[in-house]
Amino acid sequence: MSTSAESIEREEKLQGVGCSRKRKEDPRFIQGKGNYVDDIKMPGMLCAEIVRSPYAHARIISIDKTEALALPGVHAVLTADDLKPLDLHWMPTLAGDVQAVLADEKVVFQMQEVAVVIANDRYIAADAVQLVKVEYEPLPALVDPHKSMDSDAPVIREDLIGKMDGAHSKRLHDNHIFTWDVGDKESTDQAFEDAEVTVKENMFYHRVHPCPLETCGCLASFDKIEGKLTAYVTSQAPHVVRTVVSMLSGIPESKVRIISPDIGGGFGNKVPIYPGYVTAMVASIVLGRPVKWVESRIENLTTTGFARDWHMEGELAADNEGRIKALRVNVLADHGAFDACADPSKFPAGMFHICTGSYDIPNAYARVDGVYTNKAPGGVAYRCSFRVTEAVYVVERMVDVLAQKLGMDKAEIRLKNFVKPEQFPYPTALGANLDSGDYHTALNKVLDAVDYKELRKEQEEKRANGELMGIGIVTFTEIVGAGPSKSCDILGVGMFDSAEIRVHPTGSALARMGTITQGQAHQTTYAQIIATELGIPSEEIQIEEGDTDTAPYGLGTYGSRTTPVGAAATAVAARKIKAKAAKIAAHLLEVSDDDLEWDVDRFKVKGVPGQEKTMKDIAWAAYNNLPEGMEPGLEAVDYYDPPEYTYPFGAYLCVVDIDKYTGVTKVRRFYALDDCGTRINPMVIEGQIHGGLTEGYAVAMGQELSFDPEGNIEGNSLMDYFLPTAVETPHWETDYTVTPSPHHPLGAKGVAESPHVGSIPTFTAAVVDAFAHLDVTHMNMPHSAYRVWQKCHELGLDKAK
Amino acid sequence: MKVDLDKVFEIDGSEKNTWTFLQDIPGVASCMPGAEITEQVDANNYKGKVRAKVGPATMSFEGDIEIQEINEENKSLHFIGKGQDTKGTSAAEMDLTASVRKGESGATELVGVATVTVTGKVANFGGRMMTQVADQILNQFGKNFANNVVAMGEGESAEEAAKVVAEQPKELNGLAFAWSIFVGYLKSLFGK
Repeated sequence: MSTSAESIEREEKLQGVGCSRKRKEDPRFIQGKGNYVDDIKMPGMLCAEIVRSPYAHARIISIDKTEALALPGVHAVLTADDLKPLDLHWMPTLAGDVQAVLADEKVVFQMQEVAVVIANDRYIAADAVQLVKVEYEPLPALVDPHKSMDSDAPVIREDLIGKMDGAHSKRLHDNHIFTWDVGDKESTDQAFEDAEVTVKENMFYHRVHPCPLETCGCLASFDKIEGKLTAYVTSQAPHVVRTVVSMLSGIPESKVRIISPDIGGGFGNKVPIYPGYVTAMVASIVLGRPVKWVESRIENLTTTGFARDWHMEGELAADNEGRIKALRVNVLADHGAFDACADPSKFPAGMFHICTGSYDIPNAYARVDGVYTNKAPGGVAYRCSFRVTEAVYVVERMVDVLAQKLGMDKAEIRLKNFVKPEQFPYPTALGANLDSGDYHTALNKVLDAVDYKELRKEQEEKRANGELMGIGIVTFTEIVGAGPSKSCDILGVGMFDSAEIRVHPTGSALARMGTITQGQAHQTTYAQIIATELGIPSEEIQIEEGDTDTAPYGLGTYGSRTTPVGAAATAVAARKIKAKAAKIAAHLLEVSDDDLEWDVDRFKVKGVPGQEKTMKDIAWAAYNNLPEGMEPGLEAVDYYDPPEYTYPFGAYLCVVDIDKYTGVTKVRRFYALDDCGTRINPMVIEGQIHGGLTEGYAVAMGQELSFDPEGNIEGNSLMDYFLPTAVETPHWETDYTVTPSPHHPLGAKGVAESPHVGSIPTFTAAVVDAFAHLDVTHMNMPHSAYRVWQKCHELGLDKAK
Repeated sequence: MKVDLDKVFEIDGSEKNTWTFLQDIPGVASCMPGAEITEQVDANNYKGKVRAKVGPATMSFEGDIEIQEINEENKSLHFIGKGQDTKGTSAAEMDLTASVRKGESGATELVGVATVTVTGKVANFGGRMMTQVADQILNQFGKNFANNVVAMGEGESAEEAAKVVAEQPKELNGLAFAWSIFVGYLKSLFGK
């Protein structure tokens, strides 16, 4: 490639890969011109509201709709009995279980959907909800997952009694969902027996909720004449919704159109299909009018898509020098009343097998048991790949616990156990195949940047004065980009993704993808990839997503899969076009393909200055002057099935100061170094990292969905649920290294989730480190002032001297 | 959530009158702010409702009261009340044993031991306030109950008590109630 000043100037004008191009989405959002599901109105539109159960577990004795139906403006009140003839009262979940669309004889979690009211507007519907009289017989609620498999535990899923062949394994109890294990148990157990040092810790990764600013919703419109169902849905995977809706309803998939318009944040909350969507669609089919359902904030926090809720027991075996010999993890996974986890079908514990982290661990074994409780279903990947946050948490915590036991420095133990640069691609003991990395460089860069030695010295001094200062270090490796279709599918559809690019005669382009942006700036960054590949300025490339009638089939955006899969498809599709363009250029210049070289936005004849054809020239020729026998047009589509996952990594360091009298934890410094391979738009990456760190801070320091023994959810409104604003959010310092993925067409790995996955254990590590000299090895999240104070109080640190 | 309550009210009246009034279920119910008996189903079963107004929200619970036991000897009454709010978002249950005894100081005492279980919205939002709220409701109940017993007696104090009983608010007043909870909360902070 030429590097003359002239060609650099041309390259800059393209605003391609590596450019901090301003987000194309922002002008409409900052002017309030976004178009969300709740902004869409249709003539004759009705509204749906849901009647919900106050009990976590109860039998439904009767439902009396009379008063509600008598209210003027009410069109229908639907219950499970009304959906039964259509066989729509239950629906499949992504995890191989079924979920009640409307409660069938029994409610199994608080605020479960019992009936749906369809009325002229939301106000009438809300009034009518209160007029639906439901008589319940309360049953004992099962809240503690540790008691789920007790012999006297109340059976939550009566529909599954006696069905002991689960979707993923044999079920051991009526409240058991699956056992999933990975690794060599025997060699791991042996390594533990032979080990010089072993450590063990129990930790609870609490139930949280992604809480996107926009709640979930659906506007369904059934055209009785065409027999076509159109639905605007807050979905991170519109094509999957289309397939499921077609399978459920029997409407041919060609007559189902799902549109994901602007989405106000997803973070995994908008991957599953919810009863609200289904009831809106059914109501529209039954009534022949558009029906809209939009969640309230409380409904969102309480009933749709929680995350985490894993009780983990981690163990490490090592030698006296701190070399890790084995990792063993046992998990009790609380999935709520229906197994509605959003994981690839064959992975009931998601990508948890990444739990060996960035370390060269020869032996490992992990086992996860999923159980039912009387809580809302979910288990979504909250800004992470499926269960990767849990995996990184357990290994990072355990490495700290081991360091403390050995009296080793927490950075040193990591440097000692990292997979070395020359070991890549590195097959882990649990079956991941780390594509590339340079963990030593990343951590050393962070340690230098913060002057780690000085920080430890300061900590020593503070400890001597009775002050609490903690330094948390995390060196995580993520697994993203689900995924290779040989192992990854959702309901049988392989997890490829797609891009279709059309270059118009005058040289501008339109591209459509199977992914869907929810704030990730796809309109901006996809165009940059095409700009660099094809030499068409970003500004002239239009990106469209989210309409299943126009976009090629894709599995959607979550699990940081857009860059590893969707962007790869985009690059490959662009390269198909470029290959055709080269042939056209050769034809126009009357030379052979081999005589051409690419220079930013044009093909040049090697060694003959001035003999060149720009992409604009070629685009025009593609529609009127082609080599003989070549098909006209300049477009391509690619369905990219990734050969492997990608493995972004990072090194994070956090310094906290804790007030021992109040437990208030102040984040003094947070330094985040991320390596996501090739960087497509550094500004967008920076934004993603700030967002992920802030959500990580939220989870670690305050977010929690807890339950009382009767199954009442506590804190399901924004009065209690912690959403950090600029006031609470610490200052973030970011940094990067670049280790491209060897198998990705662009070398890119994905980044949106790394800061969330990586920062959460960093906060815990920092808080625990503040107490490490007092033999504290672990503290469960959230590290709210009250809980940290409880630890201070327990240790007697809050007594004034 | 479950709250256990244990209360003793001193009554300025005779043990006999107190016990007599305690067996008057509609009368006792009316001592509960905002509560009333709407129907007597049979000797041991009643239907009733409780209305509470907190800020802009009115909650109205409807439910059944079942007398489990009336023990003349111990002068004790055991009943279970169960109800759902009329909007279907919350439910509550109260298992209460009330008895009359002579206290150590010689005064008549009404002793109440209760477990209150709430589910739904009222637990989601009001959970952290439940103990104080229940405490305040019972304090109000105790006052009203005492006035009713005093009114059964004779003389000036009885007339005055009767007047108070007649003017007793029929509904739980949110603001005044919130204030009394707040005061109760402050007392609990500094009182110990």
